[in-house]
Amino acid sequence: MATNRTAARRTGTAIAFTLMFLGGLTMLLPFVWMVSTSLKEPSLVFQSPPQWIPDPVEWSNYVKVWDVAPLASGLKNSLIVTVLVVVVGTFSSTMAAFAFAKLDFPHKRAIFVALLATIMIPVVVLIIPQFLLFLKAGWIDTLLPLIAPGLLGNVTMIFFLRQYMLGLATELLEAAKVDGAGFFRIYWSIFMPLCRPAIAANVVIVFMATWNDYLGPLIFTNSPENSTVQLVIASMSAYYAEQTDYPIMMAASVIAVVPVIVLFTIAQRYFVDSFSFSGIKG
Amino acid sequence: MATNAGTTGQLRRRERTWGVVFVTPIAFQVLLFTLIPVLIAIVAGFTNWNSIRGTHDFIGFANFAEFLGDKYFWIAAGNTVYMLIPIPFYLFFGILFALGSHRGTPGSTMFRVLFLLPYVSSIVALVVLWKWIFNYQYGLVNQTLALFGIQGPDWLGDPAWIKTTIVLMIIWKMVGITSIYILAALKNIPGVYYEAARLDGASPVRAFFHITLPLLTPSIFFLTIVGIIGSLQTFVEVQLFTDDGGRNYSAATITYYIWQKAFGAGDLGLASAAAFFFALLILGATLVQFRLSRRWVYEGD
Repeated sequence: MATNRTAARRTGTAIAFTLMFLGGLTMLLPFVWMVSTSLKEPSLVFQSPPQWIPDPVEWSNYVKVWDVAPLASGLKNSLIVTVLVVVVGTFSSTMAAFAFAKLDFPHKRAIFVALLATIMIPVVVLIIPQFLLFLKAGWIDTLLPLIAPGLLGNVTMIFFLRQYMLGLATELLEAAKVDGAGFFRIYWSIFMPLCRPAIAANVVIVFMATWNDYLGPLIFTNSPENSTVQLVIASMSAYYAEQTDYPIMMAASVIAVVPVIVLFTIAQRYFVDSFSFSGIKG
Repeated sequence: MATNAGTTGQLRRRERTWGVVFVTPIAFQVLLFTLIPVLIAIVAGFTNWNSIRGTHDFIGFANFAEFLGDKYFWIAAGNTVYMLIPIPFYLFFGILFALGSHRGTPGSTMFRVLFLLPYVSSIVALVVLWKWIFNYQYGLVNQTLALFGIQGPDWLGDPAWIKTTIVLMIIWKMVGITSIYILAALKNIPGVYYEAARLDGASPVRAFFHITLPLLTPSIFFLTIVGIIGSLQTFVEVQLFTDDGGRNYSAATITYYIWQKAFGAGDLGLASAAAFFFALLILGATLVQFRLSRRWVYEGD
């Protein structure tokens, strides 16, 4: 009986491993092809059957790519937007999450429900009036429409961090209050450190969403020097697809995805645990 | 006693003040960038506001009549519904992968990173990559199919295939993140449930259908709701994969239609009306989901 069970379990593991391996391959191979193409001579990409290993390896695509498109300024703009939104926005979001989870103030529930309800509003309803407001403010074709809203926080992040903080003991707050600690100090010195894993996971998500955003730059900016890296690559691909210079496009794409993939690989261990919330509490 | 009550009252006042201070930034954001825009959109929907012609008068429900009578709106509506197809597929593969991870299959952590690669990468880079891989003549997919003597379809140009290509990409992108949510839910199921089932002589298959699956329904429901709201708004993929919504408008979605009206034709009034109508549809679809959920979502003891 026991050996039967072990044998069954082993077969199960073998099947699971095979399926996961095939799945993993499906996920990985397109990226391998992206890197492989980026290292080929332009004329060699049309070979049949497909060559996975470039011969010769053409590193010069990674040098050339900086000259054919405003990639450097695109990366710089993306970095400015992303760093500001992530750093300042995380500050705003964690403060709000702390208040919603642990403090008592008038109309708390109503405000929270109203915030959550706004997530449901389709983006397409908002972009037209937002465009008009930014136009009035003289912000069109600057980075401000991409930065300003994000500085004030992120509703999804507030929701997740509030869930996380609800799970932390309220006694901590009461004890600190009795000791005469100010509310900002309670937030900063007690709750921020306790939430570190959840904050890390959310920071990665906001970083990704901001760095990868295409809709915002598409609507609110138009000149090449104010483009983010995503917009640079999109307009580059429209041009270079006609030239069939695929290696240069793949090199640019590799450069655009490397920052998020590196960041994500470092932070991936926080992901599963931080998402372990069960239902909607409170 | 009196001083004690005094400090408690003072403390409570301070707590209220700090609570309000802490939520002020996000309240401002929602007011400025969400609520005021929504009001503008509702009002604009009843005008013939056009940024090119320069008109700006109230015209009642004429915009609604116009897009509801537009053949392209209905093609876009059909394509929008088509974009729901990825949801059951990525849920199925996501659950499968989470189960594999949860039982401690060797290499799980590495596989998890691989499965999330498409999700964390930018949609622009992914579409550029897919356009290359699915190129009719020289793409990796059709060249590989050719090795087996199969002539692959024109994935990007053929109106019958472009939506399938987009659907495949969305499934590929979403499996990993779906499995993360499911895995988190699996970790919350107490081990004693399975212990009890085993002692009662229940097979692992029975345990899956009577313990695991019911306890996963809240997560599946959450992912379905978020998935439907997201899928109905598919836009960026269409805008990047096609120049004009695809041949015969074969890939254009409602959001694409609205975007084209607003930022292509300058027809801000019509676009706002269509967007408002679309928002109500999404709200309706979500409410129906919540109503139906009572039949299949496990709500605890």
